[in-house]
Amino acid sequence: MPVPGTRLQTPSFSRRSAVSRRRFLQGSAAVVASLAATNCRQNLAGPPAGGGANDGTLRIYTWANYTDDGLAQAFTERTGIPVVIDIYDSNEVMLTRLQAGGGDAYSIIYPSDYMVSEMLELDLLTELDQSLLTGLENLRAQWSNPAYDPNNAHSIPFCWGTTGLLYNREASPGEPIDWNFLWDNQAKLSRRITMLDDMRETLGATLKSMGYSYNSNNPAEIEAAYNRLLELRPHIAAFKTTGFENELLSGDLSVSMAYSSDAIALTLEDDRMQYIIPASGASLWTDTLAIPATAPNVDAAYQWINFLLEPEVASAAVERLFFATANQAAFDLLPADIQNNADLYPSDEILAKSEGIVAVDTASTDLFDQFWTEVTSA
Amino acid sequence: MTPAPSPTPAVTWTDRLAPRRWLGPVTLLGPAGVWLLVLLVLPTLLILEISLVPGLRLGQPSGGYGLGNYLQILQPVYLRVIGRSVAFAVGSTALCLLLGFPVAYWLALMSPQRWRNLLLVAFILPLWTSSLLRAYAWTTILRPSGVLNAMLAAIGLPAQNWLNTPTAVFIGLTYSFLPYMVLILYASLEKLDTRLLEAAADLGATPRQSFWKITVPQTLPGIAAASLLVFISTLSDFVVPTLLGGASSMNISRLIYNQFLGPTRAWGFGSALSMVLILAVSLAIALLIRYGDRNTITEA
Repeated sequence: MPVPGTRLQTPSFSRRSAVSRRRFLQGSAAVVASLAATNCRQNLAGPPAGGGANDGTLRIYTWANYTDDGLAQAFTERTGIPVVIDIYDSNEVMLTRLQAGGGDAYSIIYPSDYMVSEMLELDLLTELDQSLLTGLENLRAQWSNPAYDPNNAHSIPFCWGTTGLLYNREASPGEPIDWNFLWDNQAKLSRRITMLDDMRETLGATLKSMGYSYNSNNPAEIEAAYNRLLELRPHIAAFKTTGFENELLSGDLSVSMAYSSDAIALTLEDDRMQYIIPASGASLWTDTLAIPATAPNVDAAYQWINFLLEPEVASAAVERLFFATANQAAFDLLPADIQNNADLYPSDEILAKSEGIVAVDTASTDLFDQFWTEVTSA
Repeated sequence: MTPAPSPTPAVTWTDRLAPRRWLGPVTLLGPAGVWLLVLLVLPTLLILEISLVPGLRLGQPSGGYGLGNYLQILQPVYLRVIGRSVAFAVGSTALCLLLGFPVAYWLALMSPQRWRNLLLVAFILPLWTSSLLRAYAWTTILRPSGVLNAMLAAIGLPAQNWLNTPTAVFIGLTYSFLPYMVLILYASLEKLDTRLLEAAADLGATPRQSFWKITVPQTLPGIAAASLLVFISTLSDFVVPTLLGGASSMNISRLIYNQFLGPTRAWGFGSALSMVLILAVSLAIALLIRYGDRNTITEA
C-alpha cells in the first residue's frame, strides 16, 4: 500500500512546487519592477527631504557654481555654524521642492529674478529685516531697486550674468556672432548643438533671434518662435542645462547654449572654448539670496547673507568660481584681468540690447508651456 | 468506559488563539498592509485626484474637476510620446530575450557545474553599481569620439553617431535589463526536466524539434515572467532615455518628470500621465498573473 501512495504523492508535490516557483517569479517580477520604478526617482532627486531639522546647521539650496568647500569652511570658522549645501539645476526644481513640503528644509535659497517675483506672489519668501543686514551699500547701484523685487525687500542680488553661446573653435564651422548662427549652419551643426533645458531661455533666445522680446506677450510671435525652434529641433542633440562640457571639450558637440557663469569657467580652462553674447542681445539674469518663508535657523541665514556681502569674501569667491558679482566693493578688489573680462562684464552696448526675463501674463505662460512641451516631445 | 473529562483541560498556545483566527493573518499581513496603504494606495489616490483637476498649477487657484488632463493626452504629440515609450519597451524586451535566452541556456545546461555560480555572479555584477553610472559610461562609449568608434575604426568599419538617438536608448535599455532577463530565464531553465530531452532524442526528435516542443514550452512561464518584468521596467525607465537619447527620445517618464520638476509645472497633466503609466504597468502585471494561472490549470 505505501508504494502507490508515494508514487501518487511525489508528482503532485513536484507540481505544487513548480507552481510556487512560478508564483515566486511573478512576485519577484512585480517587486523588482516597482523597485526599478522608484530607483530612478532616488537617483535624480538630489537633496533629502530635510524635515526642517533645526539643529543649528545652515542648510543652503543653491546652483552648482556658487559655493565651494572653501566658502563654507570660512563661514563655519567665523561663526561656528556648520553648513550643508544642496544643489539644484533649475529654478523650477527648487520651487517644486519647496512647495511639495520642503519649505522648512532650507534656510537660504538662490532664486533667479523672475522666480523671486513668482515666489513673492506665492508668499514663499521672508520679508528681510533690513536692520539685520550689513553691507547693502556695497551693491551696484543698478540693483538698488530691481523690478523683480522692489527695494530688495525679500531678496539680495548676489550675482548676475548673461545667456549666450559657448563653442569649441576647433569643432565649429565658424565663429558665431548671433543666435542666427545655429539656424544658418544647422546642417553642419546637426546633433552638435545643445540648448538649455529652460523654457523661457530657449524659447526667449529664439524670439530674440527673430527680433522679438524675450518677454513677448504676443501669441503670433510666440507661435512663430515655436515654429522656428521646431525647424532647428532635429539638429539639437539634447536640451540640457549642465553636462555638455565634456562633449564640447572632446569636439563631439560644437555649440552649447549656456549661462555665462558656467561658460566662463570653461573658457578659462581651455583656449579652444569661447563664449559669445549674441549681437542681437541675450538674456540678463540676476541670482539672489533669499530666505524661504518657513525657513529654520533664520539667524544663521542672515549671517550667511552678511558674510557674502563682505567685499573680501565676495571677491575671493569670484576669483575661484567666476561669477559676475553684484557687489561693487568686491568688484573693485578684483584683479584687473577679471575686471576686464568682457564675457563676465560685457560692454554697456550689449547690455543695452539685452533683457531680463520677467513673468509674462497667464495666457502667454500657457502658450509657452504648451509649445515648450511640444517642441521637447516631438 | 468513557474517560472522565479532565477538570483542567490542557490549553495550548494555539488553542487559545483559535477563537481569534483573524489574529494570525492580521499580525502577519498588518505591517505590509499599512505600508502599502500609506505609501502606495493613498499616494495613488492622491495622484488620481490631482489628475482630475485640469490646468492645475501648484499655488494657483484651480477651476474644479474635469477630464481635461486626460483629453490632453490624446493630442498627437503626446500619443507619439506614449507610442515611443512602448516601442522602446517592446524593442528592448525582444533584444533582451534574443540575447538573454542563449546565455541563460548555456549557463543552466551547458556551463561547467563548478563554475556555474561564479559565472552567474559575474553576470549580475554590473547591477552592483548605480544604473545612473552605467548610463553615463555608455555616453563615453557611444559619443562620436568614443570607445565604440575607436573600435570600429580599428577593424575598418565606418564610424557611427548613435549618442542622442533612439538606437542609443535601445542599446542602453537592453544592457541595463539583460541581467534580470538572464537571471529569471536561468531559474526557469535550471528546472528543465532533461529526461524529457533524452526521451525525445531516443524517439528520433531532432534537436530543433525537442527545443521547440520541450524546452520552450517548459520554460514559457519563465520567458513570460522575464519578458514582462523587462517590459514594465523599460516602459517606465527614466535614466537611460534621458542620458542616452537626448532630444530624440522623450518618453512617458521624462514627460511626467517635466510636468513636475520642469518649467511647465503642470501637475494635473503629469498626474494624468502617471495614471496612464500606472494602468499600463498594472495591466502588464495582471497579464503576468493570469498567464501563470492558466498554466496551472492546464497542468492540473
